[in-house]
Amino acid sequence: MARRETAETAAFHAGALSILAFMFLPLVVVVATSFSASGNLAFPPEGFSLAWYGEFFDDADWLQAFDNSVVIGIGTTLLSTFLGVTAALGLQGRSGGWGRYLAPVALLPLLIPPVVLGVALLVYFSEIGLRSSYLGIVLAHTLWATPLVFFVMQSVFSRFDWELRDAGMDLGASPLRTFYHITLPGVRNGIVVSALLAFVISLQEFIMALFLSNYATRTIPVLAWGTLRQSLNPVVSVVSTFLILLSVIVIAVAALVMNLEWVAKRLS
Amino acid sequence: MSAVDGLAGRVRAAAPFGTDAGVDRSLLLLFPLIAYELLFFVAPFLILLRISLAEPSTAGAYASGTWSIQPYVDVLTSEFFLGVIAYSFKLGVISTVITVALGTFYAYAIWRASGLYKSLLLFSIVLPLLTTLVIKTYAWLPLLAPTGTVNDLLLAANVLSSPVQFAPNTPGVVLGEVYIVLPYAVLAIYSVLSTMDWTVVEAARDLGASRPRSFAEVVLPQAIPGIAVGTVVTFAWSVGAYAAPALLGAGSDRTFAIEVESQMLSNFNWSVGTAFAVIMLVLMFVSSLALFNLLNRWGGEVEYGA
Repeated sequence: MARRETAETAAFHAGALSILAFMFLPLVVVVATSFSASGNLAFPPEGFSLAWYGEFFDDADWLQAFDNSVVIGIGTTLLSTFLGVTAALGLQGRSGGWGRYLAPVALLPLLIPPVVLGVALLVYFSEIGLRSSYLGIVLAHTLWATPLVFFVMQSVFSRFDWELRDAGMDLGASPLRTFYHITLPGVRNGIVVSALLAFVISLQEFIMALFLSNYATRTIPVLAWGTLRQSLNPVVSVVSTFLILLSVIVIAVAALVMNLEWVAKRLS
Repeated sequence: MSAVDGLAGRVRAAAPFGTDAGVDRSLLLLFPLIAYELLFFVAPFLILLRISLAEPSTAGAYASGTWSIQPYVDVLTSEFFLGVIAYSFKLGVISTVITVALGTFYAYAIWRASGLYKSLLLFSIVLPLLTTLVIKTYAWLPLLAPTGTVNDLLLAANVLSSPVQFAPNTPGVVLGEVYIVLPYAVLAIYSVLSTMDWTVVEAARDLGASRPRSFAEVVLPQAIPGIAVGTVVTFAWSVGAYAAPALLGAGSDRTFAIEVESQMLSNFNWSVGTAFAVIMLVLMFVSSLALFNLLNRWGGEVEYGA
């Protein structure tokens, strides 16, 4: 009996550690191959060099794509944070009514295959003249970033002590002033975390961007994809290493501000 | 007491800003998101539907102003397109079964873990979730290619006598897709598990249930809502898979997403491309809904039985 339990425990931990390794393996491959000395994308890499990092910083196409990603990421962050925060605030404490249909509608884009979203927006933006523009990609990425901001903020607002706001209003402050001086300081961390997540979502999204960008507006993942389809080039690993590093930083900040478990649950 | 709570709740619900004018103001806060969703989510799908009902054109992407169900007939009578649909669903089912099994196990492991180990397990889920699909896909190539790491190891260990092409091939597609969707399944299941009371499981064990049995009869039924959500999300994502089959698949690993992309961006046949997208969306919606109801009903019955 005891021996069986020991074996069970060992198998259980072995299983969990295998999945842990599985989850990190591709990321390790990417970081390792970015330091490769040869032009082959092999793991473990053949030799060590920083040559591909030099290559990245010398390539106008990659730098352009980097700028595009940052512009689109900032645009998405601003728009989705505005939409998500206002909607979560508007629905705060409201349980019935038609308002409750808004959350599922906002969530729906996350369940539709990104290729279908890309097609629908490509067709639509061609009609209204937003095709291949920064704005078009920002509007597309906002479809994914907004539900995230919304659910993070909904849960932040539900923990906020609304009697503080009522007190502010009772003392004669205008709603806007009450929001700025009382509500905002209490939920600032939540807004920062959701804005960071929105930025990362936009930075990493690639299928909608593939449909909606052109040579001049393509983002880093789109250019990486195009490069990969021609050849396995270690420069892609360099770019990918930067992207992974950025996600690690954002997760670290979010975990410090709100705690990792809380962030993880909001992402599901 | 509950009556008072109910009343207070209702008053608060009716007037979150405390005054009658405030009610309108809080409705005003919903306006930006409503306008955005209507303009950039609902409207594009209506246009998509409209163009899928236009005649194909050789001069442009589609013949505007015309009405025709020809694109739908073309798609639904083509053996090639039906094969693509069948492949997409096959990939979806296989990936979902593997992902949900692994995901349930891993979510349970995270739930039982504590301290730094728990943070590490959570981090292993959140980091890939916030990593671009491109990275998650191509990183498998140097591992799974005929000259890749996995083949080298298996050949050196004499498990294989000649290299196997895991990628580009179907096994590579399934592995890549499982890797992409696993974080979503784990988090959906974990968020339900984490609300569960561990002492119930302990009670079952004290009463003599073995650990696998206490898992199957106590943990699993309560985790069903999370498993149902995880299954539907995983299924939707893998049926619509694009990156993994495009990069890790052979020519025969053609999903509907790849086909739609090539119709739209390479062939410029928007009528067929959009019609195919609409058909796939409807099939996915119907099958996801059926799957969700099935799982929840099954979960409900187990709960009544227990």
